[in-house]
Amino acid sequence: MKVKVNGVEYEDEVEPRTLLVDFLRDNLNLTGTKIGCDTTTCGACTVLVNGRSVKSCTMLAIQANGKEILTIEGLSSDSKLNPIQQAFKDNFALQCGYCTAGMIVQAHFILSHERDLSEEKVRDMIHGNICRCTGYQNIVNAILDASRRMRA
Amino acid sequence: MYPAQIGYYKPQNVGEALEFMEGNDAKILAGGQSLIPMLKLRILKPKYLVDIGELAELSFIKEGEETTIGSTTKHWELASKRISGLEIIQNAASKVGDVQVRNVGTVGGSLSNADPSSDYPAVFTALDATMIIRSRRGLREEKAEDFFKGPFTTSLDPSEILERVKVKALKGYKQVYKKIVRRAGDYALVGLALAIKIDSGMVKDARIAFTGVGDKPYRSREAENEIKDTKLTDSDISKAVEASVKGINPPSDSRGSSNYRKEVMKRLLKNSLEEMRNAS
Repeated sequence: MKVKVNGVEYEDEVEPRTLLVDFLRDNLNLTGTKIGCDTTTCGACTVLVNGRSVKSCTMLAIQANGKEILTIEGLSSDSKLNPIQQAFKDNFALQCGYCTAGMIVQAHFILSHERDLSEEKVRDMIHGNICRCTGYQNIVNAILDASRRMRA
Repeated sequence: MYPAQIGYYKPQNVGEALEFMEGNDAKILAGGQSLIPMLKLRILKPKYLVDIGELAELSFIKEGEETTIGSTTKHWELASKRISGLEIIQNAASKVGDVQVRNVGTVGGSLSNADPSSDYPAVFTALDATMIIRSRRGLREEKAEDFFKGPFTTSLDPSEILERVKVKALKGYKQVYKKIVRRAGDYALVGLALAIKIDSGMVKDARIAFTGVGDKPYRSREAENEIKDTKLTDSDISKAVEASVKGINPPSDSRGSSNYRKEVMKRLLKNSLEEMRNAS
């Protein structure tokens, strides 16, 4: 299969049963994407495939053949934080950090698709991402903050 | 967990998919949002997957007197499109799973999976939709109500694909899909697909179907009949509400007991009918 991940093209052979998250972590060494529940619930493994957020534990790697993938590693460049990452940092939007990569990728998806974000809208759109530290308040604040920064 | 070893076939068109499925132990993969979790848990262990997820010929929404929806149309596509006279579809699609699931999952996959708590089966049953099914023998049509046979069971045989769904627009109907969940992202404890047509204060037609209350979508014709040709007074509504739980014995599970589900059905129907009456 061939995929473009964070702008880099890769070609590899995979078994059909290989999950996208395992392909990213084990074959490409992109371990920023986490495996949380492994049952399509928690969203820690969220990545973008052709611009839309998906749970990479619930997609076969082969389904991504020929597509473009963005993972948390692709959000920043030159060691500079992306505005969403900076907003998460400034708003103390992470505790243990395990859900953070998925949260930020999902936030990136939300912010590139929704202009008028309300707190309610943000809460609805991240309901597929679980933070087991229950730090939702600051996560929601961070996403709203990032939205303001990106518009400014 | 990894699925068991499996073969993968990606057909170029529906014909090739059907040809491959004949005589092979194969499962159709569309978005995979129900299938992949079942493969991972090894509840299902087919020999092959036939990936129809990217067949452009199956992904479309054609509006008209009758709207047809291709089976690999994704939830987010339906959630972002208002179809005149079928607003309930957009309404239901925007409540399936979560954003990530809606980005990948397909309407045909959800319908073929026939989870007794999923959203679309009740909606398409209320809409009197027609399922259009293709096999190498040709096309056949079936009413949604007959298509769903039981939990995770439809009338599809292993050589058939649900190709599209055909629905007549319910022009002038107030329509809504509501679901009650205990936690964000859960399947419905109880879901209600409701459409009523009110003309000069009188209910001309009513469609009432529930999900999560039995082994397949439950259309309550008794409740519908209680409000047809009425002015939807409080007493008409309470008769319909009582009728809605007759003839159904919802399951008890970790999400709620049978009696609790019945109470939720009643409350959901009562509130929704009152809202529709008050808005007209």
